[in-house]
Amino acid sequence: MRDPRLTTLADLLCRYSLEVGEGDTVLIDGPALAQPLFVEIVRKVTELGGHPMVRPRLERAQAAFLADASDEQLRTVTKLDRIEVEAPTRALSVWGQRNNRFLSGIDPDRQAIRSAATRELFERFFEREARGEVRWCGTAFPCDAAAQEAGMSLTEWEDFVYSAGHLEDPDPIAFWRAQSERQEGIAKRLEQVRQLRIVGEDTDLTIDVSDRRWMNADGHQNFPDGEVYTSPIEAATQGHIAFSLDAPYNGNDVAGVRLWFEQGKVVREEATKGRRFLSQMLDMDEGARYLGEVAFGMNEEIRTGTRDTLFDEKIGGTCHVALGMAFPEAGGSNRSGLHWDMVCDLRSGGEVHADGEVIYRDGQFL
Amino acid sequence: MTDPRVSRLADVVVNYSTGVKEGDVVLIQGPELAEPLIVEIVKATVAAGALPHVRASVQGVDEAYLAAAGDEQLDHLPPYSLEEMEAIDARIAIIGAWNTRELSGIDPGKLARRSAAAQPLMGRFLERSAAGELRWCVTAYPCDAFAQDADMSIDAYADFVYRAGWLHLDDPVEAWRSYAGKLRALADKMAQVKTLRVVAEDTDLTVGIDGRSWVASQGLRNFPDGEIFTGPLETETEGEVRFSFPAVMGGREVQDVRLRFEEGKVVHSEAAAGGDYLEQMLRMDEGASILGEFAIGTNYMVTEFTRQILFDEKIGGTCHMALGAGYPDTGSLNRSGLHWDMVCDLRSGGEIHADGEVVYRDGAFLPSFFAEELVVPAA
Repeated sequence: MRDPRLTTLADLLCRYSLEVGEGDTVLIDGPALAQPLFVEIVRKVTELGGHPMVRPRLERAQAAFLADASDEQLRTVTKLDRIEVEAPTRALSVWGQRNNRFLSGIDPDRQAIRSAATRELFERFFEREARGEVRWCGTAFPCDAAAQEAGMSLTEWEDFVYSAGHLEDPDPIAFWRAQSERQEGIAKRLEQVRQLRIVGEDTDLTIDVSDRRWMNADGHQNFPDGEVYTSPIEAATQGHIAFSLDAPYNGNDVAGVRLWFEQGKVVREEATKGRRFLSQMLDMDEGARYLGEVAFGMNEEIRTGTRDTLFDEKIGGTCHVALGMAFPEAGGSNRSGLHWDMVCDLRSGGEVHADGEVIYRDGQFL
Repeated sequence: MTDPRVSRLADVVVNYSTGVKEGDVVLIQGPELAEPLIVEIVKATVAAGALPHVRASVQGVDEAYLAAAGDEQLDHLPPYSLEEMEAIDARIAIIGAWNTRELSGIDPGKLARRSAAAQPLMGRFLERSAAGELRWCVTAYPCDAFAQDADMSIDAYADFVYRAGWLHLDDPVEAWRSYAGKLRALADKMAQVKTLRVVAEDTDLTVGIDGRSWVASQGLRNFPDGEIFTGPLETETEGEVRFSFPAVMGGREVQDVRLRFEEGKVVHSEAAAGGDYLEQMLRMDEGASILGEFAIGTNYMVTEFTRQILFDEKIGGTCHMALGAGYPDTGSLNRSGLHWDMVCDLRSGGEIHADGEVVYRDGAFLPSFFAEELVVPAA
């Protein structure tokens, strides 16, 4: 039987997040296991007069390519790849995996070659998005792999995912509009700030955000959502930060990450788990050692780490930074094939100083 | 562990059927349930130095789309679909289904409308194919829905599918290459014939083929394969035919079809069940009551009727003919929105006469006409 929350999710994604209209070409890209969501989205998109462009992916096929391809094959981007970036006017990325270690047998260097090659696609898509030619949203389809990772049964995980999206509220869209207003107030305040200093356990990091735009993540580009973010001045980050939450990336286990910055660049990295992978990713390209994002999580329904970035970065009372690709719409200019979010819990004793004044303590804006 | 026959199938469709080579962009289409085969095809494609693009489909999406789509959407052919088709060097399409009746609740008019909108794409696809710019193959992955239609368990059906492709052999590609040579010789021989007469139970049909070409289906565009086919002269089919197997199309089945032809056209049709549907299809357009294809199935590892035309039309010892559109490369001029293959079993007492001489009896060519052995040895 169809989970009614899935129908609600499809409705919200199409009408609120993506605002699908007549004639839109809507790319729906995700794992084949998200079949029930594919069906609901296609139905809704079609009802709204759009043209679905359905791209279910098979992780074993992706892994087979990465495992066997020559460097030249890994480096080649085809017309078919470009069409997926150029054709849509709306794009939904669905996240979910049958096994989120599906790339564990693949040499990270090979993954880095592929990521570097597909960076032009990533950048071109960002460019079209910044120009308003395409709207994008990423969402999670509750699956066993993510549930297992979060230490939950699938049923518990579904409840968690759907409650993080307020999909059982009588009017979820109304909730997200109200949340958007709350966040807008914070973003406006942060826009006055030139320098942020984040202080916590093993953490004292200074980030320059002068004249950068703070974006209000209110369920349009991610769902569930709830954060405010910007892209820092590239060459100004100084100090060190320790991430209390695990930082898995593309199915690779990484935890206990600590970073040291000088003039914007990571000059030293440590991790209690996945140190080699971390360094490989940071050496992917020039931009991978610079911050592309700094942000505050504001979703109060999400309280604990799930080892899934989509959720962890929105935990109310945390901040996160991302290494790599910046957001042009926020004024960021860093370019990279990487965009790796890492989350720092500020709920017990963390502080944020804005141009010398404490504006945030123990997970709350003052 | 992957069934070794799946890897062999992938090897054959990549390295023999479509001849994938370095730098080729290869589109691999198939239902999610064919994942084991898709993965093996990706591996074979990568090993050939090519660039695979997987386009999987998931259950229920097509139905949801068709149910909700209006005319404007059905008429819309996305410009990118043409760009994609122009960009590929090879396409491997895998058939398979969760349920062969998945679209039974959808108005057939909607399906026709969508097909009509895709005509420019199909036309350009066939143009590129004819010009040798694009190689393609349709193959099948054993699934429960097809097994059920074939009255088999999934394991028995998988055996059937892989044996039909001779994947039980150690070197199926070598077997297909050797068979292809014989099949081409047979097609050349048939090209000398002016008039064919098929004689079987309740069947005595004369088909004029003077000047038409015969194509040897040797495992390239279909896999499994094994048939020779031509396009009959449009006004010269005369007589009666009774099809031993049900005529299956679009999830529907017409039982015991009998047709009478005069001057190339069906002038009388009857069926034990589904006759109304048959009539409706025959009236679809001008070309629908004229033969577009006449063919002889020559895959002797396919012996059972399974309700999938990819296999049924290749049964060794049968002939089939299609009402409607013919293949231009045979010389056929018949055009229609219909192409409906119907199969006639010739294994018990059936005969084919070529210009008055009996050349085929009880499901096999007589050595006096064609001496080569088309039967594949069991491993």
